[in-house]
Amino acid sequence: MAAATRAAGELAWGGGAWQQPGLLRRAGRMARGHPLGVFGLLMLIGFIVLGLFGPALAPYDPHALRAGAPLGGLSPRHPFGLNNLGQDLFSRVLAGARTTLTISGTAVLIGGSLGSFIGILSGFYGRWVDYLLQRSGEAFAAFPGLILYLMLITAFGRGPKTIVLALAVGGLFGGSRILRAATIVERHTTYVEAARALGCSERRVFFRHVVPNVLPLTVVLISGGLGAAILAESALAFLGLGVAPGTPSWGIDISGANLTFARLGHWNLVVFPGLAISLAVLGANLLGDALRDIWDPRLRGRR
Amino acid sequence: MRRYIIRRLLALPMIAAAVSVITFAVLRSPWAGDPAVLLAGQGASTDQIAGIRHTLGLDRPIVVQFGDWIGHLLRGDFGRTFRGQQPVWPEITRRLPITFEIMALAVLFGTFFGVLYGIISAIRQNTWLDYGLRVFAVFGQSIPSFFLLVLLIVLPSLWWHYSPPVGGHKALFAHPWENLRLYVPPTLILAVTHAATLMRLTRSTLLDVLRQDYVRTANAKGLRERSVVMRHALRNALIPIVTITGGLIAELFFGALILEQVFSINGLGQFFFQSVLSRDYPVVQFLVVYTAGVVIVLNLLVDLSYVVLDPRVRYT
Repeated sequence: MAAATRAAGELAWGGGAWQQPGLLRRAGRMARGHPLGVFGLLMLIGFIVLGLFGPALAPYDPHALRAGAPLGGLSPRHPFGLNNLGQDLFSRVLAGARTTLTISGTAVLIGGSLGSFIGILSGFYGRWVDYLLQRSGEAFAAFPGLILYLMLITAFGRGPKTIVLALAVGGLFGGSRILRAATIVERHTTYVEAARALGCSERRVFFRHVVPNVLPLTVVLISGGLGAAILAESALAFLGLGVAPGTPSWGIDISGANLTFARLGHWNLVVFPGLAISLAVLGANLLGDALRDIWDPRLRGRR
Repeated sequence: MRRYIIRRLLALPMIAAAVSVITFAVLRSPWAGDPAVLLAGQGASTDQIAGIRHTLGLDRPIVVQFGDWIGHLLRGDFGRTFRGQQPVWPEITRRLPITFEIMALAVLFGTFFGVLYGIISAIRQNTWLDYGLRVFAVFGQSIPSFFLLVLLIVLPSLWWHYSPPVGGHKALFAHPWENLRLYVPPTLILAVTHAATLMRLTRSTLLDVLRQDYVRTANAKGLRERSVVMRHALRNALIPIVTITGGLIAELFFGALILEQVFSINGLGQFFFQSVLSRDYPVVQFLVVYTAGVVIVLNLLVDLSYVVLDPRVRYT
């Protein structure tokens, strides 16, 4: 089934005389082959809607003290219960979507697009630009993941700005390496050679031929990096290195007083924020897997 | 081969130097905060802060500070902590065995279960067992390990009125039972992410390998399935597994930090975390360069292991 749709897609793509199917139809065809990816996308859209409208949807102000009896359990009015300050946990989890998605989304967008830019330049122009960028990328790759983030936090202090910076830097070099490799492959294809032979300028080759063909990878990169960024953001918030204490944030709500009272039996205080993180990461991962699958059919069915 | 190793070994100090320069430059950049302000505490006068900066040597030109640090580093002197003026090295050796044990156990569990489940999932492809394991893997990659560690503390006490021991390190060889009781449950949980990633990779690589002609030959000549999978197929699937394991070990530095934080274990991770909070540059510098050094050596070992795993690989 999947193979048949793929073949049909390639036929429609490959034959120049055939009319290319519309964008919507192509998207629908891809979606049918990747139900899990669609599921992930829907989950992510759900979380983005929560992020945008969460504070408006929330039944209570996430900061309001004594929205009900402190440490009150699950009830129809407070589906996730209340914390020790009497704040409504359901409202806080809704509001937390905005915190997490803003920080990790911004970081991934900056890191992914800047990394792609660097990678394409590095792959297309080669020589000393390439050398310099690749060597510095290698040095940065030696810092183990979140240890790099902790170093940046030591220098620039806690807070959301540093977290965005750290996550963006973390995504920068991985992204640039992938885009660089793709650009080098693209630069040596026969159609680029043909374009050159026809007398296209370097600029035209670059913008008309190479860039549009490697750019979809950026989308793959960004969606693939989002899950990891959400994980990192919430881990740093859990450690108290992210947004200010008291801000509605999934990571923060698993730590501190919530954790203390969870140990005393109020499990709901940590379980619901934790589930929110897990579901958001799950959505991002499912979408990322599907997009990578579509982009690189050689990996099809591998993961 | 020998030339390749020599070339890689010569490159090691270069990368290490680049790492040290980056670390130092980031921490001393003009936008970085001032540790002296933190050390002086609230309400300190500008003179007091300047005095602290002077005693810590932070008022010297950056190049001088860097030369001083590198010079001492090369002579095996890792400096003193800003807070308390303790020599850094003994503070680290005291905690190193704890963190090493956590990481070693997590790597052991993660690799064992990851590869095992990957094999099972591949040879029972498209059965319910396979689906179940794949669902486990997808979720395992999505649930943050700090959340799982918190659940490990919260849920058993809720269900069975039992909580796993927290804090109070016992040496492995002096008190093996207490030690393992403290470390095995959380490291098993910490290994879940690791196992999930490795499982998906092992499964996909093994599925590729199992379709190769030589596997069909091995099956056709009547070898037992176990021997075909373990001796013929798995050996050829090992390269990506080893590569990914190398990367996962690097990520476990942070995993160990989280574990120590949740279980109040005074290991390297907690020491690092405290130093991040108090901007204790000598400690942060040393630990960042140290962990990066471990990663660089690991990467080299991974590359060299390809020669052992696949006789076709030749470096020149």
